[in-house]
Amino acid sequence: MAEKKVRFVIERQDGPNDKPYIQEFDVDWRPSLNVVAALMEIQKNPVTVDGKRVPPVVWECNCLEKVCGACMMVINGKARQACCALIDELKQPIELKPARTFPVIRDLLIDRTRMFEALKKIQGWIELDGSFESKEAPIQNPYTAQTAYEISHCMTCGCCLEACPNVGPQSDFIGPAPTVQAYLFNLHPLGKFDAPKRLNALMEKGGITSCGNSQNCVEVCPKSIKLTTYLAQLNRDVNIQALKNIFDN
Amino acid sequence: MFHTTFYVRRLHSLCGLFVLGMVLFEHIFTNSMAILGPEALNGALEMMELIPKPIFMGLEIGGIAIPLLFHAIYGIYIALQANNNPGRFGYLRNWNFALQRWTAWFLVAFLIWHVGYLRFYIKGVTGTPISWELLYNYFQNPLVVILYVLGMFAAIFHFCNGITTFCMTWGITKGPRSQNVISWISMGLCAVLCLITLTFMGSYIVR
Repeated sequence: MAEKKVRFVIERQDGPNDKPYIQEFDVDWRPSLNVVAALMEIQKNPVTVDGKRVPPVVWECNCLEKVCGACMMVINGKARQACCALIDELKQPIELKPARTFPVIRDLLIDRTRMFEALKKIQGWIELDGSFESKEAPIQNPYTAQTAYEISHCMTCGCCLEACPNVGPQSDFIGPAPTVQAYLFNLHPLGKFDAPKRLNALMEKGGITSCGNSQNCVEVCPKSIKLTTYLAQLNRDVNIQALKNIFDN
Repeated sequence: MFHTTFYVRRLHSLCGLFVLGMVLFEHIFTNSMAILGPEALNGALEMMELIPKPIFMGLEIGGIAIPLLFHAIYGIYIALQANNNPGRFGYLRNWNFALQRWTAWFLVAFLIWHVGYLRFYIKGVTGTPISWELLYNYFQNPLVVILYVLGMFAAIFHFCNGITTFCMTWGITKGPRSQNVISWISMGLCAVLCLITLTFMGSYIVR
């Protein structure tokens, strides 16, 4: 029985400062095959279509259920999670590239440190004043709890940064994901006390003013977070904060 | 903590929509007089000459030159921060984002030519007042007509798409529904203003 093959065209790179090159691999088709599973097959038998044995392709993955964000890469030109990219739904040959908005460490493995640094800038945490017995803890506002839950799904995968034309070496924009996290923490019953701090941080260079409203972020977000809606809300909040900064003193 | 970037960005937004928007509307309004005939346009141009010279100069410098230079120079800085990617992410808003920047580059070149030739050289150096007859002779060259129509289209699109993004930047339209409504209204305005432009530009050719 002739087995069906799936062709992968992978952009590889040996180290952070090395030149990228292309290698092609064939993987046996099987039902429900996804990109991560196919990369695992290549790892088992890293032989290119020309029959050359090469070092296995390096990539990152963890949860395999679109929750952790680690396996984000550019698949057929689109930034997305490899674990939920089903082969049968992709045009073949399948092109895999690293998300070059981030520094490439090796092959498809990228360095997401900039998102962590951005979360530090916008104070993406709650200054907890002690801990609470659950009955004593301040309650979430039931009217905004759904929104907070939605934004909390953000897994810092970086799809929105890869798609955003204003994120890259040419700009200092921290990107949609970390910006919108400021809104999540501003909604929190304790986090809201630091809202002015976060809004002032967003007014800095590379903050929310670097958003150019291309709205690619909301199109590519694998967790369907309404990023542009919350960016507009933050624009409102930041404008009000600016008026306070001017007139409160 | 003084957020220079924030205030300059917001000033860029206000200046583009209100000040340069006014300049664009003034141009469309006055030039559309050509549709009614040479006398109507010359009448409108003579009306403007009635404004006392110092006030007129003040308006030109304070209401056009300074806002335009600021919007253009800071705009170039903003445009350089974008890596336009509608080829990879071909969504409507992303195309508009790229077009906003491409029209901006075209307008920088077009306005240097337009202001440099008509305002500085013809009106300033040679001292010839702008009139229907002057424009009629100028527009005998089809290349000039094409570049002027493109320049107007670029300015109109840049302004109308600017209304949509202004509403997002200022947090006026938050959800996708209101953002889409504003987008359709401003694109409707874009179509109307482009048609008016075609009509008054066409009035020099089809007589």
